[in-house]
Amino acid sequence: MAPSVLYHCPCLSTSPIPPPPHLPSSSYNFHLLHTLFFCEECDAVRCNRCVSIEVSSYYCPNCLFEVPSASVRAEKNRCARNCFMCPNCRNTLSVVPSDPPDTGDMRLPIPASALNGPPFFLYCNHCRWDSAQVGITFEKPTGLAAQLQKHEDSAPDSLEFERLKEHFEPFLRASSLSASTSTGHPTAHISSAAHSHHLHANSITAAASAALARDIPGVGKYNPLARSTSARGGITKDKSINKDEMAEYRSRLDITKASAYGTGGGEIDVEFMKHIEDIGEVASLEQRWLNSWAGPLKTQELKPLRIPLRSKRSKRCPACTHILIKPEQKAQSVRYKIKLVAATYLPAITASLPHAQRHTAELAKKSLGKSTSAANDDEKNAASDMHAGKTYLFQLALSNPLYDPIQVRLSVQRMHVSTAAAKEGASSTEKARRPPFAVSLPTSTFSVAAYAEAWEYDDDDEMFGLDDDDDLLGRGGRDLEGRSGKAKTVGVLEKRANTTLVGGEVVIGKEARGNVKFNMLVSYTYRSDDPAPSESNDGEGISTKMAPKAPEIKTFAFYTVVDLGHIIPREESRVAESDL
Amino acid sequence: MEQPIYYSKAEYIETDTGNKVSRRATIAGPQNIILGGKTVISSGAIIRGDLRRTNPGHAVVISLGRYCLVGENCVMRPPYKTYRGNFNYYPMKIGDHVHIGANTVVEAAIIGNHVEIGKNCVIGKFTTIKDCAKIADNTIVPPNTVIPALSLFAGSPGRFMEDLPESTQEIVEAHTKTYYTRFQPFDPRER
Repeated sequence: MAPSVLYHCPCLSTSPIPPPPHLPSSSYNFHLLHTLFFCEECDAVRCNRCVSIEVSSYYCPNCLFEVPSASVRAEKNRCARNCFMCPNCRNTLSVVPSDPPDTGDMRLPIPASALNGPPFFLYCNHCRWDSAQVGITFEKPTGLAAQLQKHEDSAPDSLEFERLKEHFEPFLRASSLSASTSTGHPTAHISSAAHSHHLHANSITAAASAALARDIPGVGKYNPLARSTSARGGITKDKSINKDEMAEYRSRLDITKASAYGTGGGEIDVEFMKHIEDIGEVASLEQRWLNSWAGPLKTQELKPLRIPLRSKRSKRCPACTHILIKPEQKAQSVRYKIKLVAATYLPAITASLPHAQRHTAELAKKSLGKSTSAANDDEKNAASDMHAGKTYLFQLALSNPLYDPIQVRLSVQRMHVSTAAAKEGASSTEKARRPPFAVSLPTSTFSVAAYAEAWEYDDDDEMFGLDDDDDLLGRGGRDLEGRSGKAKTVGVLEKRANTTLVGGEVVIGKEARGNVKFNMLVSYTYRSDDPAPSESNDGEGISTKMAPKAPEIKTFAFYTVVDLGHIIPREESRVAESDL
Repeated sequence: MEQPIYYSKAEYIETDTGNKVSRRATIAGPQNIILGGKTVISSGAIIRGDLRRTNPGHAVVISLGRYCLVGENCVMRPPYKTYRGNFNYYPMKIGDHVHIGANTVVEAAIIGNHVEIGKNCVIGKFTTIKDCAKIADNTIVPPNTVIPALSLFAGSPGRFMEDLPESTQEIVEAHTKTYYTRFQPFDPRER
């Protein structure tokens, strides 16, 4: 496995220190750099787990039609045009005429626009399911959803749902009103803040969480910011807010007799199960799961499904509600009106192991003569493994995305320190145990040059390639020397364009096992008085806010976890060596 | 920074625009194929430019953009159907920065920019793949599927798995560019 570097997102946690990397929970706090966002206002990293999300537009993933939000609810969040999903395999269905000219042929059916006439039906290209099996055919090949609407609306479960909606309408309206009034005053007292759990609470989630809190004692309001705040106090206050003196709901049909209307359940299902001959006759859980309501039990009764809509979302900072991501309106555009991603603020770090790289390079050269390259995979993996009781070098390449040079300082978070901090010293055993490996990194600050647009257009590939090659050889030589004296390997190895290569060393203990994985604090300083023209507004905002005395120098620090790979324990390594 | 990926100098032909085409690839009907430049066609790939529309005159059958990669043993074949009783092939258009993994069969109609397709996939006839989409390894995409922008598809049949991050475009662009720069000739006789 290639060495990886992941970035820490504190997710509004009070302590900026990440959990120790050997805990499984640590992986939830670390993310790939390119999945992270950066809030300029708060000067903090945000991740997908902590941003608040708003839907900016809806579209059908098949016909790519942008559905206006007004009709989304009316169409029950599904495409109301010609898009259907196969109930068997969830593939998109295509419309075919009933009578293809060459049925004996193995060719695929001819699309609707061909000569053939009605009736049309839906056909799955993947599993060969067709809607004629369940008795659904169409007069014309367009507006299928509208043609199916009749069946759908008259279904007893759909009618029941309509009735339920009607019944809860006044309650929803009341709670959305109260939610909107409390959002009007973000500084209002705790109970109203708890009610609209954060500023952009959706009325429906608010209502749902209120209902949950009421029905299940001890369940607090869903509150992402402070989940443990006095839930019970909130409930007593909510009682007065939620006027849920509702009439008892009476269903359209008596549920005990519903099976007679074809909704399944009860005696009819038992009868069906008794005579079942093949497991395929029963619709699998997956086939029934995705429906909004109970689907038919029998495979042969499964109906084509309208395709659920998808959405484009904008993302906001959870603390200051500034927009971090705002997509363009057009559904299939991949551009953004606002896009504040961490990759444009934090230096990108990639880790590599020179000993593994050399090995793979040699292998690649050797294998050139042969035609297969896949055969070497095992050997490659073996090369990147590290054996217990040995010392290895590693390299970190830092690339600066800013238009100003930065001064970087790396420091390794001590394992036992972090466990003590996280657990308040409760785990004395953890503390006492020696860390299985020791990492040394350059302790002094080093600079990474500014990013210049021009380097991106470095199209002189021949030259670039040769450079690369030479570097590699040079580095290899240095590394060999480094085994005896480590002064040359720990420190800045190379600077090129906006990238600085830093060498480090890891000493793996004799009894070590697991992964070489450590938390690393990266802090860097940069000048922020001369921001790039594109972000001048934001830049001014920060400099005035952050440091009025010395506006030109700013420091930012973040945690990363570096995973260099697996340690081969002592016994195993001996076996591996004897094999070789 | 990155390690070069070596190829045998004798095996590849490099064009003026920087395309690198393996001599072991089967290119049928090259006059109907457009390569955008800096595109790599790996050994064993089969590109069927000869399957063209049955109408007179010049026709582009397969067009690939810049910084594309057609992996080892890939098959690129234009989609076909019988429309109003006439059997015909239809052109295949592939955008920039598209990587196609080894052993994949592609019969798509349109593939957008910054698309990654994994190894051992089958991309069915008339599939439309929008910008910045990604197809995981071993995915079977049935015919006529539409894959929306910024989505990851996997499985058989290929289904939507998750949304890709907002910076996918930059990542894929950087990846395809470094791949091209890393793809270096190596002549065993020189060293």
